[in-house]
Amino acid sequence: MELTVNSVSCSVQSPPLTSLLTVLREELDITSPKAGCESGGCGACTVLVDGQPRRSCLTALCTLDGSEVVTVEGLGTPEDLSRVQQAFIHHYAAQCGFCTDGLIVAATAYVGGGGSADTGDIGEALAGHYCRCTGYVKILEAVAAVARGDTFDTASTASSANNTYVTIAGAES
Amino acid sequence: MAVHRGKGLATVEYPTGMNQNGDPSQAWIKVKPDGRVDVFSGTADIGNGSKTVQSQIVAETIGVPYDWVTYDNSNTDSSPMCTGTFASRATFVAGNAVLKAARQVRERILAVASRELEIDPADLEVADGSVSVKGTPAKSMGVDEVAGAATFVHGELLTGDGAHLNPGAAIIDPTTGEVDKPPHAAISYAACTAEVEVDDETGDVRVLSLTQAYDIGRAMNPTLVEGQIDGGAVMGLGFGLLEDCYPYYPTAEHRGDGMNTYHVPTMAELPEIKNVLMENPSSGGPYGAKGIGEMSNNAQPAAIANAIHDAVGVWVTEFPITPERVLAALDAKSEGRSEPRREGRVVAFDEELSINSFTSAKTWGA
Repeated sequence: MELTVNSVSCSVQSPPLTSLLTVLREELDITSPKAGCESGGCGACTVLVDGQPRRSCLTALCTLDGSEVVTVEGLGTPEDLSRVQQAFIHHYAAQCGFCTDGLIVAATAYVGGGGSADTGDIGEALAGHYCRCTGYVKILEAVAAVARGDTFDTASTASSANNTYVTIAGAES
Repeated sequence: MAVHRGKGLATVEYPTGMNQNGDPSQAWIKVKPDGRVDVFSGTADIGNGSKTVQSQIVAETIGVPYDWVTYDNSNTDSSPMCTGTFASRATFVAGNAVLKAARQVRERILAVASRELEIDPADLEVADGSVSVKGTPAKSMGVDEVAGAATFVHGELLTGDGAHLNPGAAIIDPTTGEVDKPPHAAISYAACTAEVEVDDETGDVRVLSLTQAYDIGRAMNPTLVEGQIDGGAVMGLGFGLLEDCYPYYPTAEHRGDGMNTYHVPTMAELPEIKNVLMENPSSGGPYGAKGIGEMSNNAQPAAIANAIHDAVGVWVTEFPITPERVLAALDAKSEGRSEPRREGRVVAFDEELSINSFTSAKTWGA
């Protein structure tokens, strides 16, 4: 089976019904797609197959001959991050990081397909991804900012507009 | 048949850390010959940002740039002991441990710099990676130079250790319950209002907004605090409406055991979330901090239950508030057999049924 993974041609030896997730993690040692529920429910294993976000845990290897697969490693490098990756850093859209790779891949497809900065549209596109840490608030902000065409300073993080700070002067408890 | 709106409020009082049970964290710090600072602490960063916050505390306390600090908790053997990352204790308890260790390092830096500059350490200060004479900033030397001199001239290691423990309090007056020392590290306060829509035909509850106020002591890293509070809000929403280990029919083998049967909130359920962060410094926390992690998912379920009562006039007394439970409560109300609001509940561990968690017992008052 011939696959192109992150622009590298690979000759894959796994049996035909092996999931793409297993092929990537076990045979090719690409570990950004996470084995979360392994039944299509959580979105952590999402990769791009010919530009479309797919659950790699539910995608059998035999359906992919000649396909182009992109994982988060293929979107950018630490020195040259993609805009979605930059936005996730600037907006602090990752905490533990388990869902992050799948979300970045899916958000890349959403924005690449002309997705809008509308919260409802983003929610509809990304509702298949579970995140237990962030409450989605900053993920939504990051994706909306990419859709708006913002540029990102990855050396700093943004404070969200939904927060108000109040200082109680001189109080101690 | 209609959709009804309601609003509810709930408040939280939350003690930081484990307090009464003894809750130690330890840390040690060493400075490399080039001035870079290595922090060894056992507090695992599970995405809450404790690594970042503890590095900030060390950088600020010693007086070096944040980038000079490396936080190492790569293995259990080389790290000092830490009780763990839970109970909102990482910033407060473990943060106090690194704070104490960093103060020692600062003293050692000043002692070596004093010999190098031939000036009393009381007249020196450390800031931005440089030791300078108070009031005469031109006379200074870098912390990297101090570390080099310690290593190659004085034969010393710039190091420090620190530990923090809230000792258990003992009751000294059984009549009043008065204790011999403060029973809590710091108390935080929070309030949450929920606005919901309840469909009285389907029992569906949709949370439209959560508006919350948190007493956070001091936001050392505002972005991280916001992340904890947003995340806690949605976790609380899940606890209130969706998440349940116990929808099993007819026996425990049929309980949910994966993400397809244990429902957590997604972006589709995300309400509008607004936070007010109140900085009300704690006297015992590092730089006035209090814990914020765990407290942030406590108020939402009760606020949602209160909002449902406001919307349709029924008390649903069991979480999660599923459509079935809303409809059962509405039926009970229309048949005139509404349950009175419960004043409390017994939480018991059920060894028969539980995998690894606590269950809310159906029988209570026993």
